Amino acid sequence: MSQIVLDTLIVAASVLLAISVIIALYRIVRGPSILDRMIATDVVLASIMCGLGGFMALSGRTDLLPVLIVLAMLGFVGSVSVSRYVSKSDSMTPGAEVGSLSDFSSSDWHMPKESADDAEGHSDTGARQQAQSPVGEEWPDDVARGISDVADGPDAITVQEDEEPVTVGLDQGTDPSSDPSAEPSVDPDSDAEGEVMGTGPDSGPEDSDDGERTGPEPDDDEGGRR
Amino acid sequence: MILDIISAVLILLGGVLSLAAALGLLRFGDLLSRMHASAKPQILGLLTVAVAIAIQYPAWSTVTTLAIVISFQLVTIPVATHMVGRAGYRTKHLRRSMLYRDELAEAVDRAEAREAAWERRRGSGTDHNDG
Repeated sequence: MSQIVLDTLIVAASVLLAISVIIALYRIVRGPSILDRMIATDVVLASIMCGLGGFMALSGRTDLLPVLIVLAMLGFVGSVSVSRYVSKSDSMTPGAEVGSLSDFSSSDWHMPKESADDAEGHSDTGARQQAQSPVGEEWPDDVARGISDVADGPDAITVQEDEEPVTVGLDQGTDPSSDPSAEPSVDPDSDAEGEVMGTGPDSGPEDSDDGERTGPEPDDDEGGRR
Repeated sequence: MILDIISAVLILLGGVLSLAAALGLLRFGDLLSRMHASAKPQILGLLTVAVAIAIQYPAWSTVTTLAIVISFQLVTIPVATHMVGRAGYRTKHLRRSMLYRDELAEAVDRAEAREAAWERRRGSGTDHNDG
């Protein structure tokens, strides 16, 4: 009797794990963005780990325990690396491929460096950044080429029809299509247009969510990050 | 025999959690919602399976290795999920209509204002046309 219950439970667990892996594979195939595929891959990996653990518990192969560690590390490294190097060129929104290289340049590579420069002190780093100010000197070649080729990247970023326009910029509630016209209200100085055409301060609202805030003034940010 | 049934029930619970995560992946319509769903079997499902293994083979080597696995998952899964969520926020893979409140937007606005002020202070008097 108890053997029948045990077999039923084991078969049910196996079926559930198999169904979950199949559904996660469907999400990997179907997934609209690469981050969805990464999450589904994590679920597949978690299901494999659960199945392997169940196999170890039922068959006594406890020598397979390092395999669990390896699988856990594999999931962590894969998820972190994919989400680190994802850019807007991998976006599911149509039209995002136009400014892909510029969006790649506006990904979060170089922003922690600038925030570190901001944190060092304003007197000497200002002169040093003015000395480094041409694009080809300050950034790598592919990034500079992406900036010079594409006039304004986030013009091409569109949202889907069922979504609200994503508000970037300060408080004016502008959508990204009218972002360069809204930037002089953010920065009324004459440098603002040059900034928009060059690197784009619109790399700011996505890029500066944590790296910028930790950098320059960490004292008044404590309330905002909680 | 009762320990076998308990461990089998725990393995079945891990399977149920994994299925719940997969159904969440299938049905939810947003990256952040799918992240919310997918975190269940990665820690809790693996924890139940590890308890099942520890019930079956209560040796020190097995239990310590399982503790290593579980603690590794507890440390790394929030980091990985944070990275995925940050990348999703930056590349706008989220539906604004599904958010009740975007607390990160305020911090981004403040950081952007501070960066604009710093750029204005830095670039005053010069005419460089780049970044």
